[in-house]
Amino acid sequence: MERSAHQITRLLQAWSEGEQSALEHLIPLVYEELHRLAHHYMAGEQPGHTLQTTALLNEAYLRLVDSPKLSWQNRAHFFAVSAQVMRRILVDWARSRQALKRGGEARPLELEEALVVADAPGADLVALDDALKALAALDPRKSEVVEFRFFGGLSVEETAEVLKVSPETVMRDWKFAKSWLRRELSKEKPVGG
Amino acid sequence: MEAERWRQIEHLYHAALEREQGQRTAFLKQACAGDEDLEREVESLLAQEDGGDRFLEAPALEVAARALAQEPAEATNATVQAALLAGRTISHYRLLEKLGLGGMGVVYKAEDTRLGRLVAMKFLTPPAPRSSQGQLERAPEHEPQALERFKREARAASALSHPNICVVHDIGEYEGQPFIVMELLEGQTLEERIGGARGARPAAGGEPVARQLGEGERRSPLPLDTLLDLAIQIADAVDAAHSRGIIHRDIKPANIFVTSQGQAKILDFGLAKLASLVRAPGDSSVLLHRDDNEGAQAATEKTVPLAASDLSISLTGVAMGTPGYMSPEQVRGEKLDARTDLFSFGSVLYEMATGQRPFTGDTGPVLQNAILKQIPKPVRELNPELPRKLELIINKALEKDRATRYQTAAELRADLEAVKQEIQPRRSVARRRELAAGAVAVLLIASAAFWFARRRLQSPATLPEIRLRQLTTNSSENGVGTGTISPDGRYLAYTDRKGMHIKLIESGETHTIPQPEELKSNWVDWEIGPWFPDGKRFLANAHPPGLDATEWTSQGTSIWIVSVSGGPPHKIRDEAYASSISRDGSTISFETNKGRLGDREIWLMGSSGERARKLYDGGENSAIGGLYWSPDGQRALYENIDEAGPNLVSRDLKGGPPVPILPPPEAKKLNDFLWLPDGRVIYALRELDPNADTCNYWQIRIDPRSGEPVEKPRRITNWSGFCTAATSVTSDSKRLAFLEWRSHTSTYVADLQASGTRITTPTRLTLDDGWNNPLGWTADGKAVLFFSNRNGATAIFKQSPGQDTAEPVITPRDGEDLVGSACLSPEGSWVFYMVGPKERDPLAPARLMRVPITGGVPQLVLTANIEGGPRCARSPATLCAIAERSADRKQLVFAAFDPGKSRGRKLAELKTDATADYQWDLSPDGARIAILKNLEGRIQILSLNGRTPQEITVKGWNILTNAVWTVDGKGLFVSSLKEGGSVLLGVDLQGNARILWEHTGGLRTYGVPSPIGRHLAMQGWTGDSNIWMMENF
Repeated sequence: MERSAHQITRLLQAWSEGEQSALEHLIPLVYEELHRLAHHYMAGEQPGHTLQTTALLNEAYLRLVDSPKLSWQNRAHFFAVSAQVMRRILVDWARSRQALKRGGEARPLELEEALVVADAPGADLVALDDALKALAALDPRKSEVVEFRFFGGLSVEETAEVLKVSPETVMRDWKFAKSWLRRELSKEKPVGG
Repeated sequence: MEAERWRQIEHLYHAALEREQGQRTAFLKQACAGDEDLEREVESLLAQEDGGDRFLEAPALEVAARALAQEPAEATNATVQAALLAGRTISHYRLLEKLGLGGMGVVYKAEDTRLGRLVAMKFLTPPAPRSSQGQLERAPEHEPQALERFKREARAASALSHPNICVVHDIGEYEGQPFIVMELLEGQTLEERIGGARGARPAAGGEPVARQLGEGERRSPLPLDTLLDLAIQIADAVDAAHSRGIIHRDIKPANIFVTSQGQAKILDFGLAKLASLVRAPGDSSVLLHRDDNEGAQAATEKTVPLAASDLSISLTGVAMGTPGYMSPEQVRGEKLDARTDLFSFGSVLYEMATGQRPFTGDTGPVLQNAILKQIPKPVRELNPELPRKLELIINKALEKDRATRYQTAAELRADLEAVKQEIQPRRSVARRRELAAGAVAVLLIASAAFWFARRRLQSPATLPEIRLRQLTTNSSENGVGTGTISPDGRYLAYTDRKGMHIKLIESGETHTIPQPEELKSNWVDWEIGPWFPDGKRFLANAHPPGLDATEWTSQGTSIWIVSVSGGPPHKIRDEAYASSISRDGSTISFETNKGRLGDREIWLMGSSGERARKLYDGGENSAIGGLYWSPDGQRALYENIDEAGPNLVSRDLKGGPPVPILPPPEAKKLNDFLWLPDGRVIYALRELDPNADTCNYWQIRIDPRSGEPVEKPRRITNWSGFCTAATSVTSDSKRLAFLEWRSHTSTYVADLQASGTRITTPTRLTLDDGWNNPLGWTADGKAVLFFSNRNGATAIFKQSPGQDTAEPVITPRDGEDLVGSACLSPEGSWVFYMVGPKERDPLAPARLMRVPITGGVPQLVLTANIEGGPRCARSPATLCAIAERSADRKQLVFAAFDPGKSRGRKLAELKTDATADYQWDLSPDGARIAILKNLEGRIQILSLNGRTPQEITVKGWNILTNAVWTVDGKGLFVSSLKEGGSVLLGVDLQGNARILWEHTGGLRTYGVPSPIGRHLAMQGWTGDSNIWMMENF
């Protein structure tokens, strides 16, 4: 376990230094985590068992993030990079799922349907990514708050640490950004979709 | 949006939220003061803020994982796999999108990131049911050895070069799942075409989703000219494959692709067998298919009878063959030969002609009974427009008894062509009649159409239809070394581990040339040289044993004349390496005088070795060789190697400067060449395919007077996964014989027992077909470190015995390659390795680097001309050393190195033979160095603390290739060669040797012990090589 955390740290560092190929090595690791979680859910965990879910995720993030030998300038930098990487990988993943559906398969996976189950109506990861880009053009910090919180899994306090603002500011940004994003997403798709 | 406006919106949003819900509207109205846009904007945002739901509250990873988990329960493993794989990079392929899902697996569109081209990538996997707990089953297990063999076979199939066979670029394995990389095609399958599917889509291997024919689905016959066009192409492809001994076993419309240009492409040649190995978990009823007589395997094979219970599996394409298109012998589970494909093809023809399958049945047994007994309704009853001749062809292909069926695809093709010729003039005539042409004109047109049809088939505008034929069928344990075809094409002279043989190509009759008396006690490696024009004698080079063919030079080599009529060879010259014979048979060209880069001189002599005289001298800093005469005998073609690299040059024999023929980047890849009697220069280039040896033939024409190229080089083959050598040609320039070879190395592991005097049966740790060379063990002895090119560039990986996957430890940066060998620091915490720029000059210095074994930033230790690689003693000793070869190669100097302080003190030096290579190893206590001159039987032991040097003569073994100290420093793991393979020996310091591992058929091996000497990691190097003949190139 610790070994893989090292590896991830190293890869994240390489990526943040501009080494594009590091991302390709990170992808399988994130996918592994994704697969592991999915297996867990498939094994019978019901949605809504938030305690369980949180525990799992904490473990996942500890593994991904909490390497004891952080040779980073600061934790904040590491968090920021992790969130960016997570976003890239998961959005690409979601995009390929959509391509899969377009491929005319017999039983396509309904990402939206799954998201409804996950209590997040309408939040298609690809559409969300597009909306986040639009938000970044208007207000980069708000887009970062969403990136760190949603993709990076950071708490309000951690996000504040990364952005060097107060936790209150993060909360305000977060609230506003969610409303704005939700409105943008409902624009693209009729409500109820 | 203006920043000001944005701030305003945000401010109002928060301000409104601070108020009670009921007061917000009023507040906004007032605050916006009539700015309706602003009011609407904030309203719309507030409308989203009602709390309660978890929008974006769960982290993205969880959202994605839940999405994946919510996959409908009946979805297949393949679907999940597909979802997981998309977007991933596997080996050097980036998966872009899924193209299809079928019984045989999932097909993706992918980008070959190395070659920058789009390909189709198919993962062979069966649909896996979920277990009762609802969890996904792991990928199905395969029998590794069987899988290996079938992968080999699939590779053989992939070597099929035919315009109507889908090109297989690569075969690999990903997490135990075999995958195939092939050309990406645009169009649709014949299945879709007959089914009336509309619109083209990109796909390859594009099996449609398995489906039953629904009521509403309309299937219709193809137009006759389309049918014939496609059928002739298919027959031609089947013929080409059969003539190489490859049976498809699953010909069906879903396996035939029709490109947007109307070209037929057969998919999955030879893969039906591979698919049969990929079985559903828990299902033991799936037939596993074996054949134990490899030699006869091309022609016949055994299948297990197909029981009704297997049928469902068959329907998903997991078992061999597809029920609706199986031959009677396939249904009965009899031995199969090429004629099974002709029956299946007959079924496809039937369906193309009528839109219906010849045999149908609701259940397996009904369908099987139909195939075995039922005579299908004549095609003209279903489609009266069909020519009677076509009906006869289909009937003959569908004969139940294979003895009365078509015997070869070529016959079938010929009959189809005849039908096509009959209908074509009729059509032309119909049009021409309106022009009132007379009977004579009709005849003329008819013959013109005939001529046109013939020409078109061989038109160089499309790819030439190269015909290939395998001339030898040696196993990998006894690969063919070299071979050349006689000028009249009657004989093939070739060598293998058992000696030198002459084969009559037509009858296959083979006899072995007796070994000359003076070589009976001396093992030599024979190389077949050129034939004399009379086709009765040829030259053979006797090389010192154990060298790789690329290392052959005149040193230690002698030239012999061998006669077809029998009798032992007789020698005509020593220290000479024959390259060719002039077209009149009067003159032999040969190389001699080995220098730093290879042989320095080209000489000529008479046909019995008389009147030898020097022709060209390349000087000290170059090597020249391989002289061929031009068709008129006025010019010479030869290879010139100097500091700039190799090139092919031509030169007027009466004098004048050498004229380079190839552009330098191409010349670097030159592998083999030949000047054909018809004037073409044919040469093979080795391609940058890091996963496999790949060579292809090219041709170029040169002006016989100036020697300058008169046309651009043209590639004539499209092969991958193997290289060629020993190219020879018949005097009519129509048949080219060549050695096809491929090789790979694996890392094996075993436990050392009985104080290191024997090992347990080695198991293969690495399963891919690239290069996997062990370099050491981790400090805890739990994992092996090895070099591998599995991901393209050579990198260092780590893998524990018992683990399936390897983890990269050191991956070179872009533009750099790992070179030489590598080792661990004495306490095992660092890896020392060497890097150099890509395509570097082998004589240029390399950089010695170090990196923590747990990963980190590489640090430069020093830059030097290091021979081999770094070596370290083991803790508690602290010494690490390198060896540097002097510029004149006459001295080997050993020096300590200390990370941080660069090069340390000089340890020892040794005088060396400039033309020889040396291997060395530092003892674990850091007190001695063992040095081995490649391919000799003695090992020098130099002391680093003042003791006298020692020499070990290994008893009973005199061709050594490697020596590595044992952990206790009391002996060495020594590698040697023997006839029939290589061996790993345990040798004590008195020279007593004990065989630890016989690597039968192996080209080389060596062993590396774990830190406390409990385990041994070994390299195994194996290859396949046989002679093939190419025609119509």
